[in-house]
Amino acid sequence: MIELIATAESINQARLLIDADVDTLYIGEATFGLRLPANFSPEEIKEICHIAHAEHKNVCVAMNAIIHNDRIKLIPRYLDFLQEAGVDYVTIGDPGVIHLLNKYEVPIPYVYDPHTLVTSAKQVNFWAKRGAKGAVLARELTYEELISISQHADVPVEVLVYGATCIHHSKRPLVTNYFSYTNEKSKNQEHLFISEPKKPKTHYSIYEDLNGTHIFDTNDINLLPHLEKLVNAGISKWKLDGIYTRGQAFVEVVKQFVQAKQALLDKDWSEELKEKLNEKVQEHHPSERTLGEGFFLKNPNDVQ
Amino acid sequence: MKKWKQKPEVLAPAGTLEKLKTAIHYGADAVYIGGNAYGLRSRAGNFTYEEMQEGVTFAKEHGAHVYVAANMVAHEGDLQGAGDFFRTIRDIGVHAVIVSDPALIEICLMEAPGLPIHLSTQSSATNYETLNFWKEEGLERVVLAREVSMDEIKEIRNHTDVEIEAFIHGAMCISYSGRCTLSNHMSARDANRGGCSQSCRWKYDLFEMDHNGMRQSFAVNETDEPFSMSAVDMSMIHHIPDFIENGVDSLKIEGRMKSIHYVSTVANVYSEAVNAYCKDLANFTFQQSWEDELWKVAQRELSTGFYYGTPKEQQQLFGKRRKIPVYKFIGQVLDYNDSSQIATVQQRNSFAIGDEVEFYGPGFTHVYQKITQMWNEEGKPIERAAHPMMKVRIQMEAPVKPLDMMRKAR
Ligand code: SF4
Repeated sequence: MIELIATAESINQARLLIDADVDTLYIGEATFGLRLPANFSPEEIKEICHIAHAEHKNVCVAMNAIIHNDRIKLIPRYLDFLQEAGVDYVTIGDPGVIHLLNKYEVPIPYVYDPHTLVTSAKQVNFWAKRGAKGAVLARELTYEELISISQHADVPVEVLVYGATCIHHSKRPLVTNYFSYTNEKSKNQEHLFISEPKKPKTHYSIYEDLNGTHIFDTNDINLLPHLEKLVNAGISKWKLDGIYTRGQAFVEVVKQFVQAKQALLDKDWSEELKEKLNEKVQEHHPSERTLGEGFFLKNPNDVQ
Repeated sequence: MKKWKQKPEVLAPAGTLEKLKTAIHYGADAVYIGGNAYGLRSRAGNFTYEEMQEGVTFAKEHGAHVYVAANMVAHEGDLQGAGDFFRTIRDIGVHAVIVSDPALIEICLMEAPGLPIHLSTQSSATNYETLNFWKEEGLERVVLAREVSMDEIKEIRNHTDVEIEAFIHGAMCISYSGRCTLSNHMSARDANRGGCSQSCRWKYDLFEMDHNGMRQSFAVNETDEPFSMSAVDMSMIHHIPDFIENGVDSLKIEGRMKSIHYVSTVANVYSEAVNAYCKDLANFTFQQSWEDELWKVAQRELSTGFYYGTPKEQQQLFGKRRKIPVYKFIGQVLDYNDSSQIATVQQRNSFAIGDEVEFYGPGFTHVYQKITQMWNEEGKPIERAAHPMMKVRIQMEAPVKPLDMMRKAR
C-alpha cells in the first residue's frame, strides 16, 4: 500500500485532488499546524471530511506546530472537534500534544512530525511505542539512510516526494524586522526570496506567519524519477506539498504522481513513462522555481 | 511581597578541564561539558573519560555538579555504543546528561538507569504539557526553549514540578533550536550533529521574484543594509529576581567554546547577583558594576531575547556594529606574598610597566592598579612581560589571591 498525501488550499482544490485520486488530504490552520497552503475553519474542515469520506479518502489535519502555553490550552477542544469531524489522523510535532492526546484517550491516530528531528529508526520506534502510527522523516536524509530507517522502523515513515522544503524556522519576524530597520514597507510576502552571498542564482523562499519566519531550500523536491527506489525501500507514505505550487498546477503535478504510483503497483513502470510523467511535473512546476532531489542522492558521509 | 522558594543553580559552560575548574572556582554551582561523542559541539572542547573523572572529582570536592551534553540528533549508525557511553559517564559520577534525541533518551533510560536526564534546549520545549510529558518519561529536568517568555515560565512553573532550566546569558540561535538546517543545505554540515556553520549570520540578498523570474532586490546600493538573521547575545543580569521568583531551578550560561576569561567573568557576576538576592531579598538592588563587568567579555550587543516580548530589529545585528570595549585576559595569579605584597603571575598575554590593569577574583573582588614594578623568575627587573606563560612577579598595592585573573583594556 502506498499512501499519496497532498495538501489542499481550498475546498474546490480538495475536490479536484480527490477526483485525481489522492489517498489523503492534508489540511489545517496555522494556529496548530505549520506551513500550510491555506487556513481552514472548523466548518471547512468538516466539509472536506465529508467530501473525502464520500469517496473513501482520508483527511489528515496538521497539529505539528511548536505549541506555546496559550495554544496548548486550546488543544483539548480542538481534538474534540477533530474527532467529531471524523478526521482520520493528525500530525504532531510537540510532545505536549501527544501527552494530552494520550491523557484524554482521544481515539485519533497521530503521525509524529517534528520537522527536522526524525533521523533514525530508533527514534521512530520511540514514538511508535507512545502511540504514533507513523513518522515524517527529516528532509536531510539520504536514500541510504531512508532504506535503513524504513527497514528498522515499526511504523510507516513519510517522505516528501514533491514540494518546498523548510530549512529554517524562527519564532522571530525576520522579514518585518529587516524592513523596520531599512524603513521599507513590508510588501507581498508571497514572492519573497533570499539568495546566498556570492550565489546570486539561489532563491530560498521566505515568509512570515503567526508561527514566525520560515525559509525553504532553493530547490523544491521532486522525487518522481526515484519513486521506484522508494517502493523498493518500502517507504509507503508519500507527501506532496503545494505551498508554492498553487491551484490547478498543483493538481496536475499530483496527477502525475497518482499515475506513477498506479503504474508502480501494477508493475507497469517504465523508463518511458517515468520520463513522460517527470516532464509533466516540470511543465506544471512554477517557472521561477527550480526542482531537485535534495539529499536523496547524497552519500551520508557528504554531510559532516 | 517578594518571595522565592529556593536558590537556583548557576550553570556555566566548560569546554576544558581548566575551564571547568575556573567556572566552579568563580562560583558556578554546576558546569556542563561535552563528551567525546553525541555532543553538538563536536569540534570543540570534548572531555576524555579521564578528564571527566578528574572534573567530577574536583566538582564534588567543591559541592558542584557536572552535566554532560549529549544533545545531537542521531542518524542511523550513530547510536552504536551509546549505552556504553551513558553507563561509563554514570559510573564516573556525572550528575546528569543533557539529551534531546528521544532515541538517546531511551537508550539512556534502559541502559544507564540512575543517570538523571535533562532535556536539551534543542528540543524546543515551549509549554507545560511538554514538560509533563518528559517528566512522566522519567526526565529530571527540562531546559526551556529560548523562545519562552517570563510570563510563560511562570505559567509553566505553576503546571509542572519537573526542574526547569533557562538561559540567562550568551549567544543565541535565531531559529527555534533544532529547527534550522541552513548549514546542512548551504555548507553540507549537519547543524543537529554539531556542524552548524552559522549560516544565519551571513549576508543575504532579499528580493521579490515574479512568475517570469524577474527579480527586485531590496538592497540595491552598496550602502544598503543586506538581509541577515544574526541575533545579538543575551544577558539577563537585570532580571535575576524574575527567574528566582518564578521558580527556575537552573540558570544557564551559554558558551562551551568561550575562554576562561569569559567563563570566570560571567560565572562570577551571575553567582554574585544570585547570592545577593537570596541573602537579603528585601534589600536587593541591582548593581551597575555587574553589567559593566559583563561588557568586558561581550562580543555583541546584549538583549533579553524573548523573555519580555518578541525581539524586534534592535535585537538583530544590522548596520554598523557598536564598538564594544574589549578587555584582554593577560594573566593568572599563581601566588601572593603578604609581607612583600608581591604577586606571582602566569602571563597569558603581554603587558608592561605603566599598564592600567585589573585583577578580579571569586566573590566579585577587584583590584585596579597601574603596574609600577615587575621582575622575571630570576628576580631581574623587567619592563614588559612578553613571553607566553612566563612567570612574572608584580608589586601589588592591594592583596590578591591565587587563581585571581588579570585583564586590561585593549
Ligand atoms: S545557522 Fe544560526 S540559527 Fe541555524 S543552527 Fe546555526 S546558529 Fe542556529
